[in-house]
Amino acid sequence: MHVLFFAQLKDATGCDSIELALPSLLNGEQLWKMLIGKFPALANHQKNVRLARNWEYADAKTVFADEDEIALIPPVSGG
Amino acid sequence: MEIEIQLTNRPIAEKISPSSQLDSIGAWLEFRGVVRGEENGEKISALEYEAYPEMAEREIRRLLEEISKENLCLAAKVIHRVGIIPVGETAIYVGVASRHRIEAIALLGEFMDRLKQDVPIWKRRALPANFAGDDVGSLIIPQKKLETPHVVSCKSLDEAIAEIISCCQPMSPVRVSLEESFGRVLRETVCAPEDLPANDRSTRDGYAILADDVAENFQVVDTIHAADWKPRQLQHGEAVRVATGAALPCDGVRVVMQENVERDGGHIRIKKREAGLNLRKRGEDVKAGQPLVPAGACLDAGKLALLATAGYAQPLVSPRLCVIHFTTGDEIVPPDQTPKPGQIRDSNSFLIRGLLQKFSCDLEQSHMPEDFERAKSQIANRKSQIGNADLVLVSGGASVGEKDFTRPLLEWLGLEIVFSQINVRPGRPLIFGVSGSRVAFGLPGNPLSHFVCFHLFVATALAKLIGAEPEKFLRGQLAEKLNDTPCPRETLWPARLDMAGLHPLAWASSGDITCLTETNALVRVPANRGSIDAGTEVEFLTT
Repeated sequence: MHVLFFAQLKDATGCDSIELALPSLLNGEQLWKMLIGKFPALANHQKNVRLARNWEYADAKTVFADEDEIALIPPVSGG
Repeated sequence: MEIEIQLTNRPIAEKISPSSQLDSIGAWLEFRGVVRGEENGEKISALEYEAYPEMAEREIRRLLEEISKENLCLAAKVIHRVGIIPVGETAIYVGVASRHRIEAIALLGEFMDRLKQDVPIWKRRALPANFAGDDVGSLIIPQKKLETPHVVSCKSLDEAIAEIISCCQPMSPVRVSLEESFGRVLRETVCAPEDLPANDRSTRDGYAILADDVAENFQVVDTIHAADWKPRQLQHGEAVRVATGAALPCDGVRVVMQENVERDGGHIRIKKREAGLNLRKRGEDVKAGQPLVPAGACLDAGKLALLATAGYAQPLVSPRLCVIHFTTGDEIVPPDQTPKPGQIRDSNSFLIRGLLQKFSCDLEQSHMPEDFERAKSQIANRKSQIGNADLVLVSGGASVGEKDFTRPLLEWLGLEIVFSQINVRPGRPLIFGVSGSRVAFGLPGNPLSHFVCFHLFVATALAKLIGAEPEKFLRGQLAEKLNDTPCPRETLWPARLDMAGLHPLAWASSGDITCLTETNALVRVPANRGSIDAGTEVEFLTT
């Protein structure tokens, strides 16, 4: 799985993307657990950050697979 | 609705012309968002914007389509600048077209509100007021790179295939018996040692007479069966009884089929002559010295028959490949077991076994524990045997997750990693390693990725090793629309090919395996292409 970080999350993780190997399909909660395990600093951001799977916002039912491109989307401020 | 979206790091033009000429447009409303000279009470000189471009474009499109349900939007043009934007310059341009001004005003307001909620674009930083434009570079905070143990280089499909082709060398050929050579690749061009057929032969059961003999009644002077060799010079008025395939007695004859002949003891009467001569001329199939089977051909039943005909009892062919396949992953159980929660049955072993059937190879498969040290100790006593295999395949464990050890494992086996990522969907983490004439692949764990990566990359490497021509993309028409959203990676889309063309099959993720029941082709969808209409010519690979 390719995971992308944007804006302040780049500072929190120290990188703009990582490759993760998923042992199986994960729900959002499990994915967050894995990400925070890798980058504890993400824990502070979790409640404000939305997950996107393959360029679409994920919802509570979204299942994440090894092949997906995931992005962590902090509050946006375009325009 | 006509939609045009751009994300750019260049200044947005002062004047932008409407992007649609529809007659129904009654209002074009334009808006420019400009960088203000202060941010949070501080004077600034510029703002730096950052975007997730692939998703931002899709979100903008989705927003426009959604708000158009309430107020019909006929056309829209959205340009967002990213990077450093000096005060006073445009950060965003939006133009919307509708039938009436009220709708356009509503659309624009709604769009800008929603853009600020959902579109993944960020104001990254404000640059203070007191710096000159030339210093911009010094103010950009360099992004720290994740320290990974190796450089990740992401190859495009064409780059990866070209790299594989240049790294793989054909194996030394061997001479084997015809019995053993089925399915192997012929490594020398085999030419006809003599004319085929070796002499003129009858294609009918009938009577051979001189071709220019116009008589009606003949004396039967001999009988020639298929296996006989009885040359004789026929005279006018003489006929020879011949079987189909029999060597004719001399040159300049024709065969009259027996149905057109009345026989009475040692004599015949010809009732009717056919237009043709009813014979195959010597060398009609192939002349001595002409190529029969070219080098690089895979020896199938027909070609073996031809080699046998030409007397090539020991053809020069590629050796059988020695292939070692490891499955990894603690979640894998054999097919006859019931998986516990979190476990899945092993399908990749059978997929690989089946895919390799096309190649003449000896396959050894085993499962490895999901731990580099334990995996090493499991295979330590076979290290040199594994190291001598022509092809090592490792299923799963190709990403850079903590437990993934394909790369260190292949390096431990003495292979040099050429690349470890490809910009292809499905199958991004693909490891390719080489050592001399040996090659190895670490395949992403999902079955569909396996299927795609095998046909694209493993089969190319194998073809090169055995001296065959790697499969090439063909061109064909879509029989049905291919429904996809634009993906920044090139995609290989499972499809069924039949007389009507290519039928794209439904698949949701690379864990999807159900579409494999029908897949016999992979359609190549260029990056960022999205849906492709029925009837469009596309590239595809047969599987």
